[in-house]
Amino acid sequence: MNIIALVKQTPDTAQLSASMDGLKLSAEGGPRIVNPWDEYTLETAIQAREEHGGKVTALCLGPPEAADALKTALAMGVDEAVLVSDPAMADSDSLTSARILVAAIRKVGAFDLIVGGRAAIDGNTAATAVQVAALLGVPLVSYVAELRNLDPSDRTLSAVRLLEKARETVTSRLPALITVVKEINEPRYPSLIGIRKAARANIPIWGCKDLSLDAAAVGAGASGVEWRTELPPVREAHIEMIDGGPEDAARTLVDRLMEEKVI
Amino acid sequence: MLSPYEKILFALLVAVSLYLATVTFRRMIGTIMRGQGHLAWDGLPGRLWTGVKTLAGQNNMIRNRPLVSLAHTGIAWGFILYMAVNVVDVLEGLVTGFVFLEEGTAGQVYRLLVDLMTLAALVGMAALLIRRFIVKSADLAVTPNVKLHPRAAGGIRRDSLIVGFFILGHVGFRLVGASFDIAIHGPDPWQPVAALAAGLWSGLEPSWLTFGLHASWWIAIGLVLVFLPWFPFSKHAHLFMGPFNLMTAPERTSPGALDALDFEDETIEQFGAGRITDLDRTHITDAFACIMCNRCQDACPAYATGKELSPAALEVNKRYHLRDHMKSLATGGEDTEPMLGYAMSESALWACTACGACTEACPVGNEPMFDILAMRRNQVLMESAFPNELKGAFTGIERNGNPWQMAGDRMEWTESLDFKVPTVAEHPDYDVLFWVGCAGAFDPSARDTARAIATVLHRAGVDFAVLGNDESCTGDLARRAGNEYLFSIAAEGNIETLNAAGADQAGQKKIVTGCPHCLHTLGNEYGALGGRYEVMHHTQLIGELAKAGRLAMPGRDGTRTTYHDPCYLGRHGGEYEAPRQALAATGPSLVEMARSRNRSFCCGAGGAQVWKEEEGGREAVSDHRFREARETGADTLAVGCPFCARMMNDANKRAGEPMRVRDIAEIVAESIQDEQERTHHDDR
Repeated sequence: MNIIALVKQTPDTAQLSASMDGLKLSAEGGPRIVNPWDEYTLETAIQAREEHGGKVTALCLGPPEAADALKTALAMGVDEAVLVSDPAMADSDSLTSARILVAAIRKVGAFDLIVGGRAAIDGNTAATAVQVAALLGVPLVSYVAELRNLDPSDRTLSAVRLLEKARETVTSRLPALITVVKEINEPRYPSLIGIRKAARANIPIWGCKDLSLDAAAVGAGASGVEWRTELPPVREAHIEMIDGGPEDAARTLVDRLMEEKVI
Repeated sequence: MLSPYEKILFALLVAVSLYLATVTFRRMIGTIMRGQGHLAWDGLPGRLWTGVKTLAGQNNMIRNRPLVSLAHTGIAWGFILYMAVNVVDVLEGLVTGFVFLEEGTAGQVYRLLVDLMTLAALVGMAALLIRRFIVKSADLAVTPNVKLHPRAAGGIRRDSLIVGFFILGHVGFRLVGASFDIAIHGPDPWQPVAALAAGLWSGLEPSWLTFGLHASWWIAIGLVLVFLPWFPFSKHAHLFMGPFNLMTAPERTSPGALDALDFEDETIEQFGAGRITDLDRTHITDAFACIMCNRCQDACPAYATGKELSPAALEVNKRYHLRDHMKSLATGGEDTEPMLGYAMSESALWACTACGACTEACPVGNEPMFDILAMRRNQVLMESAFPNELKGAFTGIERNGNPWQMAGDRMEWTESLDFKVPTVAEHPDYDVLFWVGCAGAFDPSARDTARAIATVLHRAGVDFAVLGNDESCTGDLARRAGNEYLFSIAAEGNIETLNAAGADQAGQKKIVTGCPHCLHTLGNEYGALGGRYEVMHHTQLIGELAKAGRLAMPGRDGTRTTYHDPCYLGRHGGEYEAPRQALAATGPSLVEMARSRNRSFCCGAGGAQVWKEEEGGREAVSDHRFREARETGADTLAVGCPFCARMMNDANKRAGEPMRVRDIAEIVAESIQDEQERTHHDDR
């Protein structure tokens, strides 16, 4: 079974700082991590490979530093990793990114399953993987919390989608693209042997030329969306201390939470 | 004494016994040599002295189980003496007319000594057999939830019985022989016990007496020849493997300091211990040295609270596994069985608090804790199979420099102080670097302690600084959880920071930590990685300041206080007095818990336990320890570690807050405050 895992490198949003250049990944911009949702992407892809055999290829679109995210993917256990990177691709919006990724997926070759995270924590559009599925013309099963039945011989899958107020079980034919939520599994911690293997691995970089893309058709110029972000975000919070005994305090707290429509 | 035929028979028996012993001992040694690293032989005279000392002094085993230890000492001293006695007896048997030391004073003393020690050995052995087989002491049992080799329970009983009868037979028939000798040659006041036994033979024909003398000699000596090749298969090998183990123990900077792994060498493909041959040689030796007395089990907090872990069972299981595979292992055969299957369960592996009580309790120098931590390394570095909760702590150290995954400011705790705590960047000429630790920086209750330490330093006029946001987790929890790779990265970073801050200038700068785990890691473990510092625990510095009269305290606090020794300050750091002195200076009456100092019982947080759910058992380790503290009747429980504080605070809350749990630094700071208010009041 050929599986493609879509991985993004993002800033560590737990450590946002004013020194970051927006959400762009610059070397000085603070720590960068594998998009937390994509840890579940990788775990899902690796588990599927462990169960059904075949190969997992991790694809990442980003600046050269994003190769670190692919090292993590390799350390976790993907078989191959490709970095899609070209200065011309900088500041692509989600649709343009999807077009680039589709070109890369076609270059990887035949696939049975593409896995992505529900969103990336930086842009948080949750659109790129959807657009990839649309451009490829394969079924999309988003917000997957449980992959019940992945059957490469029957070429079907059955999955439970986690929706706001329901769990929905759907079946789809393969090839398909799924996006996963964190309820699906517990991502593994890379073993040292994996880390060492990853350190030795050669990660190919595919640019516009390799993907036969016109440099003018990618990047900021070809994108309809522009990002203007100020970091860290200004937080408007105030603290309210609730007095009284535990029972009274709890009652007041519940009232206040309901007032604020938190519960 | 012996007839020519007997001499020939004896020579044959010796030859067969020595041949078989060579075969079996070579197997045992070959098996030990399958381990990693080297047995330490440097400074041989000192090591030999260690062997002699521990053998003669019984490694101070009397500190626990005094009556049993006394019985054991009788047997052991009897046996040590019998090493000489056997040589003498063989010579007297082979050389016609030879009588050792003859009738002089020396001979009389020798005979009296042998006579009395024979009695001591017999009484001791009988006592231990009664304890095991008639009284059926609970100390010798292992609870059923602990994994034990299927043949171990029966095997240990059988082995004990064989050894018991061997000793009774060997020593007993030597005594019987001596009694026949007296019956033949007339009374000897220097052998009162043998003389008493000689009364049994009154009226026997001289030929029967001679037969009795010969038969006794043959049984006493013959048993040794029969038993000799059997030693490597019996736990009784502890009588020489115990001292051997202590003699060949590696030098460690602390009883719990782990060896670093080499991550640079690409040819190394195994990290930690997956199979028994991955263990260090000294830890394979442990299994041969183990007499299966369960003293480590008595001391183990995980076992005491009903977890699946018994350090004793680990050594027993190792030994039985080795016994089954000794021949193959000694000849280079591969062992394919993972230890985490026969040696202990997964829950047992993750139940260890790395407190070091097992190594402290073991009379033969076994270090079960090291096996556990080596197996954890295998689980994390090779298998990536470990309790899920630890992942958060690992990721926190990796990304945020603290296991809480806190992204906040490491100086926030100083904000409510009425003086400024300078950072090293602001004040590079400091004398003392206060290593706050992640707990001090982020944990709300530990922040109180950090403020108390800073207050005490400030009031005493100590010129100190902190690293602020340059400080990062020392990696202790990663190391105890088996993530040596993460530890090495954390250590490298901190060593760079500390050296840049000049903390490595010996004699000029020292580090004081608010946490015994930081103390142990910085002081005892960073050295091997190139970071050498003079590190003190805050109670040590406070103790010094109090002694030097730099802390004005009223010294008349009326409370009753008990002090909980943190494992990494006490057992691993060897410091028991300073915290007590610091505490005493504030004036409370100190009451000790039943288990204190080197026998202190872990709070339950160590060995990365605080970062995961406690393994299943009868009760929480912290509740057990808190109960011990309450039993003293004290109203204050003084601690010296943020993790002990947290565990004891939680247990205190669960028990309805019957005690006041405070770090020594807080107690001292409060005391200084009181004194200041008092003198201020008096001035007015």
